[in-house]
Amino acid sequence: MYGIVKGLLQLPGRVLLKQPARWKLDTTNMYDKLKFEFTEQNLCRAKEMLTNYGEKEQRGALLPLLDLAQRQYGWLPITAIKAVADMLKVDHFEAFEVASFYTMFRMRPEGKFRLMVCTSTPCFLRGSDVVLNTCKEVLNLNENETSSDMQFTLRTVCCYGACANAPVLGVNDDIYEDLTVPAVEDILSCLKNDVIPPAGPRAGRFCSEPVSGPTTLLCPPTPPGYCMQELCKPKKKC
Amino acid sequence: MAKFLGINRLGRLFQAIREAGGLKQAYLKLYRNDDLKTGKLIGIDKYGNKYYENPYYFYGRNRWVEFTPHVNMDYDASQIPAEWYGWMHYKTDLPPIRDGCRPKHKWIADHSENLSGTKEAYAPYTTTTPKIEAWNPNKK
Amino acid sequence: MIRAPLVKALGALGSPTHQIASRAVRTSAVVAQTPAKAPEKIEVFVDDIPVKVLPGTTVLQAAAEIGVEIPRFCYHERLAIAGNCRMCLVEVEKSPKPVAACAMPVMKGWRIKTNSDLTRKAREGVMEFLLMNHPLDCPICDQGGECDLQDQAMAFGSDRSRFTDINYTGKRAVEDKDIGPLVKTVMTRCIHCTRCVRFASEVAGVDDLGTTGRGNDMQIGTYVEKLFLTELSGNVIDLCPVGALTNKPYSFVARPWEIRKVSSIDVLDAVGSNIVVSTRTNEVLRILPRENDDVNEEWLADKSRFACDGLKRQRLVAPMVRMPNGELQAVEWEGALIAVAKALKNAGGQIAGVAGQLADVEAMVALKDLVNRLGGENLVTEQDFIKGSGIDVRSSYLLNSSIAGLATTDAVLLVGTNPRYEAPLVNTRLRKAFMHNEMQLASIGPNIDLSYEHKNLGADASLIKDVCSGSHEFSKVLEGAKKPAIIIGADLLARPDGAAIHATISEYCQKLKKADWNPFNVLHNSASQVGAFDVGYQPGLQRMLQNQPKVLFLLNADSGKLTRDQLPKDCFVVYIGSHGDNGASIADAVLPGAAYTEKQGIYVNTEGRAQQTLPGVSPPGMAREDWKILRALSEIVGKPLAYDTLDELRSRLDDIAPHLTRLGELVPASNSEASPQTTPNKSISGGAIDVKLKELRDYFMTDAISRASPTMAKCISAVNKQQRQNEEAKQSAAI
Repeated sequence: MYGIVKGLLQLPGRVLLKQPARWKLDTTNMYDKLKFEFTEQNLCRAKEMLTNYGEKEQRGALLPLLDLAQRQYGWLPITAIKAVADMLKVDHFEAFEVASFYTMFRMRPEGKFRLMVCTSTPCFLRGSDVVLNTCKEVLNLNENETSSDMQFTLRTVCCYGACANAPVLGVNDDIYEDLTVPAVEDILSCLKNDVIPPAGPRAGRFCSEPVSGPTTLLCPPTPPGYCMQELCKPKKKC
Repeated sequence: MAKFLGINRLGRLFQAIREAGGLKQAYLKLYRNDDLKTGKLIGIDKYGNKYYENPYYFYGRNRWVEFTPHVNMDYDASQIPAEWYGWMHYKTDLPPIRDGCRPKHKWIADHSENLSGTKEAYAPYTTTTPKIEAWNPNKK
Repeated sequence: MIRAPLVKALGALGSPTHQIASRAVRTSAVVAQTPAKAPEKIEVFVDDIPVKVLPGTTVLQAAAEIGVEIPRFCYHERLAIAGNCRMCLVEVEKSPKPVAACAMPVMKGWRIKTNSDLTRKAREGVMEFLLMNHPLDCPICDQGGECDLQDQAMAFGSDRSRFTDINYTGKRAVEDKDIGPLVKTVMTRCIHCTRCVRFASEVAGVDDLGTTGRGNDMQIGTYVEKLFLTELSGNVIDLCPVGALTNKPYSFVARPWEIRKVSSIDVLDAVGSNIVVSTRTNEVLRILPRENDDVNEEWLADKSRFACDGLKRQRLVAPMVRMPNGELQAVEWEGALIAVAKALKNAGGQIAGVAGQLADVEAMVALKDLVNRLGGENLVTEQDFIKGSGIDVRSSYLLNSSIAGLATTDAVLLVGTNPRYEAPLVNTRLRKAFMHNEMQLASIGPNIDLSYEHKNLGADASLIKDVCSGSHEFSKVLEGAKKPAIIIGADLLARPDGAAIHATISEYCQKLKKADWNPFNVLHNSASQVGAFDVGYQPGLQRMLQNQPKVLFLLNADSGKLTRDQLPKDCFVVYIGSHGDNGASIADAVLPGAAYTEKQGIYVNTEGRAQQTLPGVSPPGMAREDWKILRALSEIVGKPLAYDTLDELRSRLDDIAPHLTRLGELVPASNSEASPQTTPNKSISGGAIDVKLKELRDYFMTDAISRASPTMAKCISAVNKQQRQNEEAKQSAAI
């Protein structure tokens, strides 16, 4: 009885309870309170980067510096964006516009390994859907999800520019190519053990050369002056 | 013959005068009501209005009301209360005094006449705020 | 902030010629010294009509020259070119793709086709895409009827749509942003023209607005939840081509076809911005800017735009007389005028008048004539100025460089003024000079945020002496400049040593003077001030109080500087004005006058330009136009004024000062006029210089109308709330 009464009394409160807002930034949000400072080493790097730009073109260093900040922190909290903006004397919002525009800047924490399966046409024709499904099954994740232990984030991307080696899976900065289901499983099991397998094609070929071995440029290039001596020889007089 | 000469009408006149209670009363009634009729008193409502009927007159004139004397010349059809209204307008032939089924509740409001044209008349007033809010010097 | 090299709209500074010439001056001094050769015009063909334009002209401008209108959303004459709406695509012969007319400079011999099949198809395609993600809520949209998207969809769009997946995914929807009490946002309607973003960063100088995300997720907004609070925020409403940003106080009030429009003048600051007053059924609904390149371009400050609801509150609607019990009581006109006339007759010439911030020239002249005829001489303005003979010469109290001229300056010194809040549209001109002219600006006074970079020399008054003697380092900048300007705040000159400051600076300005350039500027903050000086009012209340007036007229004098305690006990105070405020509450008789939207009155702005307001609505209740009240009073006193109509009064104005009736014209004080030779009897004493309007919250309420305005009150509380939040965030961050 008491429970029912209590439930009834609570009902309006529950109805009025706001849905948790979609990801939003406000001045009192926790995202604003994460401290960010470049480490000493990164500060040196940043200064080095700045020397590439002229006095008035400092704002050009925005992308490299944001990338640096992201590499240091793992993702880009708003304080990091502000720190970079302050460093370059651009407006906070301008830096934020840039960071929110480029998809490679992550504005929310993501897994340690970001698996990015290419799903564009060439990869799809070579079976990227199988690769994606394998990832989903092995990691028990859906697309755009992060595992609860913050180890893996699964995403689909559009084209790594490695179409000759399709299908392709990107893990952070590395690309794994010529994938098959066992290859994917192998990579994932390595990653689960915190071992980063060597990047590159998994079909036993070098880069994007034909699977059946090179068909051209089979010997090293001829040295300079090749055949020149013959040309220099006086022609036989007829 | 008497009918032909209209003498029976004369007789009815005398009867009406008699019912009014004399020549002077008959004159006053004629003055007040613009009419002098004989008829059967059907009932009196609580305000003192008397309701008459005489089937001799044709339909539409065979039921009439003589308003209570204290309103004098200020009578008005809206002084007829709701229960007599039906009988007066031939909605029913059963006058309320003989109608036992008529509901009687405490909450039934007393009848009031139409007050248009009098001081008590209803005047609508605006409920919107004025476009210009005037300064009130004495408000602190 | 970085001085961004802007891709400027070519029309921004007037003709393209001007633009190119000024660019040349900026980029290289060598080019400037050689006589600038006008670049050769090139010929292009717009719809087979030949037109000769300067190189660098865009296709859109070339078409505009022969009157061909190319549809556009993102392009705006006074903003940088963005080229992101694609609505202005036109076909150019031999070009494989249609080109964006707003961003593409013409080449010689181009044949532009603004009405070809390809062009029309391109427009219809763009329009179809725009409408795909635009809600069909025109019936409940405030922009309906004045919406660029509606108009252009009608004129250039296709008559059918292929958008059919309404049940499948639905249209794109975007969360609304709360950007303050003035601008209402319905972000789903946004078509991402970025005009508001460009306005905020280029003209207003706040980078609060921006775009986040990309593609379908692109949004306009403030990146943290924050209000878009500037003194110019209302202009984004005008700029927005759709109903994404609309006027919040005006929301759901009226449709554009229901309202009547009256061209008028704003009087809430001394700029004299040109406005359009929108009225319906004798009610002012909203105020919009009217284009005038010499005064306000096409912007309007927020106070001028949104304080119009103050015209409906705290109004004086009936004459009032103070009863023996000390309370003001409404009476008929006759009774009030007779009461005032009685007091006037007993005064024996000890009559004074004070003209306040909103007084028009007609009323001031009528008051002056009345007081003079009754033997009084004591006519002053409420706003103080220098003591002494400083106002004998007109150029000593004007903004001589002219408002438009300030955009061409290259070195400016602000002395004791904050143009950002005293005259926001003067500040936009200065900002323009800063952005496009490499102007250097220094200020003496408190360190204020002007929305652009400037050097604060300090607050000490002795700095003025340093700069004017040439010993300060900024003096060299001023002396080396082609068009230097020194702007003095009107409040500064009210100091006891104001005359000394004035004399020092005007003497220095003699040195800086160029052939057609007067660097001496006074920035007033009350609309009536220049007009009052022009018709012979004296500055300062002190002068009036010394004479112990028996009858005192307050003409719109509401600033609260004058209190009952300062006046003699037997002084009879008559207030003539529109609002019940400080002036009316100390008055013995209150005569209700008309506000600026209710009368035809001349106001002279800070640069000396006489302009007139026109009545949009009639004065409320028994209120009458101010000069008519004075005329009626003169009749009762028995000294009738010599004019019965406005025209007769205007011809009287013409006699006093002919420039007052040359409406809309800038009549500069002649350059050859001698500067005041009176040597300052006092030297500049030290002490910090202060300005009244330091922050945004100080800006919103400065006169009787804006003090009565609920919208302005909301603005102040919004500013305060924002600040509280910022402080809280800072504190919690510190923890």
